[in-house]
Amino acid sequence: MVRVKSRYLLCEINVSDKRQLLLLDDRAVATTVKAAVARTHGDYGLALCTIRFSVKYLNTHTGIVLLRFPKKCYKLLWSALPFITSITTRGQNIPCFLNCLHVGGTIRTCQKFLIRYNTQQLHRMLPKCKNEEEKQQIRESLMDCYLEGGTKEALEGESESEEDEEE
Amino acid sequence: MSVFMDLNVLFSPDRNRLQGVIETAAHLGFSTVAINYVFEPSSKKKQEVPVPCPISELIDQLPVVQGRSRPIRVLNRLTVLMSDSSHFRPSAPEYRRFDLLAVQPTTEKLFHAACMLYDVDIVCISVTEKLPFIFKRAPINGAVERGVVFEVSYSAAIRDATMRRYTIANAVCLMDSCKGKNVILSSAAEKALELRGPYDVTNLGLLFGLSDGDAKEAVSSTCRAVLLHAGNKYYSTSTASTTGSTAMSTTAIVMMMKEDEGQPSAKRCSGRPSGPSGPPHLRPPSSV
Repeated sequence: MVRVKSRYLLCEINVSDKRQLLLLDDRAVATTVKAAVARTHGDYGLALCTIRFSVKYLNTHTGIVLLRFPKKCYKLLWSALPFITSITTRGQNIPCFLNCLHVGGTIRTCQKFLIRYNTQQLHRMLPKCKNEEEKQQIRESLMDCYLEGGTKEALEGESESEEDEEE
Repeated sequence: MSVFMDLNVLFSPDRNRLQGVIETAAHLGFSTVAINYVFEPSSKKKQEVPVPCPISELIDQLPVVQGRSRPIRVLNRLTVLMSDSSHFRPSAPEYRRFDLLAVQPTTEKLFHAACMLYDVDIVCISVTEKLPFIFKRAPINGAVERGVVFEVSYSAAIRDATMRRYTIANAVCLMDSCKGKNVILSSAAEKALELRGPYDVTNLGLLFGLSDGDAKEAVSSTCRAVLLHAGNKYYSTSTASTTGSTAMSTTAIVMMMKEDEGQPSAKRCSGRPSGPSGPPHLRPPSSV
């Protein structure tokens, strides 16, 4: 038993109204996921959820969330995610759905994917922007994709260099 | 990279809603979407088969699919809810206007007939009620040989808990009899929030009893096989030139395959019509 392995699921929360994204926080997302697993897989699913499940990262501007599941049962818990129809935070009910982008074994692989995905999104969204202010806002929210820890400087450097390339 | 398709998006007269659904589908990564017109004939009133709205009217600029450089492809599809064998007339000219033809039988006999005899592409399995009949191996094997696929929709499961039980029960029943082949999973989405990404749908397939490989095929290669089967149908039965801009010819099928592989198909298309050796009834395809 050398290493405890987990699976990190990179998901995107899609809402119809972008401003409602800002109300989210990670505890609300965690309770929603647990409730969905309880509804779909009952007590067994809920018990599996308490082992090593947590929300590792949440970006309210872009709606990206990184969930951690234990490796043995991540597929079962993943299969409950499509049944999430709304997230309840602070008394408000936000209708949304979760779309899984990438499954990784470590946070670092998920971050690498996220950087590639964000550059693609930049390419898609910037041509549609009307003024410089919106462009700056989008750039800032996308560059926010780092976690506290050692990979912070490496990541900022990477994303900045990619920004320079496509500018 | 495989091509993901969602062959069941319910038609709604509200144009904005439909536009929102198509944009969400493009954002999630589906490269083809089929707008489903549900037709329920009743023996009392004579009803008209709905006419599909041309795609250019519905949405001006087709959004580009996430992760690819092509715009999303939108097709038309008709689903006939059958409770009597007189409801479905095998070769009615109105059916030609649609790219895909689907049938939802409600009795054992109709299911048998739909699988073995009728000229359809998709047989829908009802998800909103307890199965009225048991699936037998014989018609299912016949359907698999002919190229007809079975469809399970998942958006009823998302909306309501009782529907969830029926969906899973019916789907598991189907997988028992058909061993996981020739199945497609699709949403019957009315709103943009009822769509799910392709990998999530693959995972739902695992819940329904499909194996890993079969579940991924259910969203990608089996759907493609249905489109090829549908195109084949029109080509083999048409002798005179077909009316309606959505009829597919062999050139269109080859164009589709080239598109899916990501190669430019303009060369293929321009070479065809001007040559004197081409068969007279093949017309150059319109925007597919």
